[in-house]
Amino acid sequence: MAGPALGISLAPFIRSSPTLSKIFTPVANWYAGGSLYRQYGLLYDDLLIEERPDVQKALSRLTPREAYDRAYRIKRASQADVLHAPLPKEQWTKPEEDVRYLLPHVLEVEKEEAERAKWDTLTVTRK
Amino acid sequence: MLASRVCARRFASRSFATVVETGGLKVAAIDSNQPTVSITFLAKAGPRYQPKPGVAHALKNFAYKSTEDRSALGTVRESELYGGVLSSTLSREHLALTAEFLRGDEEFFVDVLASVIASSKYTRHEFEELVLPTIESEVNALHADPATHALELAHALAFRSGLGASLFAAPHTPITAEDVAEFAKTAFSPANLAVLGTGISQSTLSSLVAAALERRTAEAVTPPTTTTSGYFGGESRLETHGTPQTIFIGFGAPGTPAPELAALAAYLDPNPAVKWSRGSSPMLQSPETSVQAVYLPYSDAALVGLLIQGPSVEGVRAASKAAVAALKGTAGVKAEELKAAVSKAKFRMASTADARAGVVEVLGSKVLSGSSETSLETSLSALDKVTASGFAKAATALVKSKSTFVALGDTQALPYADELGL
Repeated sequence: MAGPALGISLAPFIRSSPTLSKIFTPVANWYAGGSLYRQYGLLYDDLLIEERPDVQKALSRLTPREAYDRAYRIKRASQADVLHAPLPKEQWTKPEEDVRYLLPHVLEVEKEEAERAKWDTLTVTRK
Repeated sequence: MLASRVCARRFASRSFATVVETGGLKVAAIDSNQPTVSITFLAKAGPRYQPKPGVAHALKNFAYKSTEDRSALGTVRESELYGGVLSSTLSREHLALTAEFLRGDEEFFVDVLASVIASSKYTRHEFEELVLPTIESEVNALHADPATHALELAHALAFRSGLGASLFAAPHTPITAEDVAEFAKTAFSPANLAVLGTGISQSTLSSLVAAALERRTAEAVTPPTTTTSGYFGGESRLETHGTPQTIFIGFGAPGTPAPELAALAAYLDPNPAVKWSRGSSPMLQSPETSVQAVYLPYSDAALVGLLIQGPSVEGVRAASKAAVAALKGTAGVKAEELKAAVSKAKFRMASTADARAGVVEVLGSKVLSGSSETSLETSLSALDKVTASGFAKAATALVKSKSTFVALGDTQALPYADELGL
């Protein structure tokens, strides 16, 4: 999962090892619950730093429905922040609703850019 | 006499190899020792077969986007390294995906085409980022080109559904990437495909195609269907600005195009054989008005007519009057005029088949329709058999039907069909 747009991450390494993931999954769940974004009705991918061309391109690839929902969640969270209080409990994001809707698009864009860089800097050798 | 026999023999030696079935699709190749090779995957996927308006145009522009094997960028860059050219061409009946390249690179380009046919992904973001802008620019180009636009309108009038469907999607088309993927699945089924090669031997092409498609097993699906064409005719007028005044006057004939119609179009063509010289035809009275004969044969119908273009309404009106007179007067053709027209039609057909794109145009549809005779010679000898009485009969039958009349430009001043006596 590690990529320049998403920062350095140990997640793929931890996920590759059954023992490590058994240890870290409860910790990760506790951390996600404790970091309060769910109490403001946000999803984790709403927190990705979006002021970057690759994330902007990924955002442009959301379906109209996904883009609308994202804008709604961010506005609702901003309003809750203005009021200095989390949302009512029934509006909190449930852990199973917290899907990485933007991540696949970001990874796709990164892959495309890496491929472009590869073709741009290719050394051609004659057979 | 001698000249025509020599001619016939030369074409006979250039005739297509027999069509071979490879994994359910038809493969035909001709090798005349040219330095480059072209391979075309021809599918019955023109707008005639599309389930929704504009899907065929979108599919044409979706060619060479990302597949299971390589991305859109990868396809372009890798082909550039080989020095090849990839293109997709849409006609009313067929979609042709063509690769042209140097001898020796056959394996790579057959693989590219096979992967486009069998494993294109049709992703939503590519549709929105790459395909829709191309569609839009092609539609804009159409609106700036009154000749093509007039023929689009003429087809809609003449054949209504089926062949009447436009080659272009609407400017703000509602189709989605899923629609295109669904159409591609049926259109690119093996029974609906033919592979045509030039500069490559039949056996090489067959084995390469078989090897490339073996890795990508396509499920058998029913190919898209269409209805038999009928001819209707009618009148259409469109106000445009800044483009030449354009009038199309034509007639359609349902059924397999008769060779008489090709001869008729050649007979109607007023342009002289020598470049830059002035024709003596009454249609070419005004120096800046151009008149072109249009002959568009399809598998089960044909459209014959005259396309008149010029900057001034008066010139176009005068040329249209002469054009109507010419169309109505074809039945009284003299024997030597008919002979000249037949030679002209034969030369046109042969010189089209000489060019690479012409091979696909002239012979591709024959291969796809399962016809066993794929040589040019039969088409040429059919033209030789055109008689004066047959020609007069075909011409009278043609102009007896309702005309197809399209006017583009200053519609207030351009003549109506009934003013021209149609």
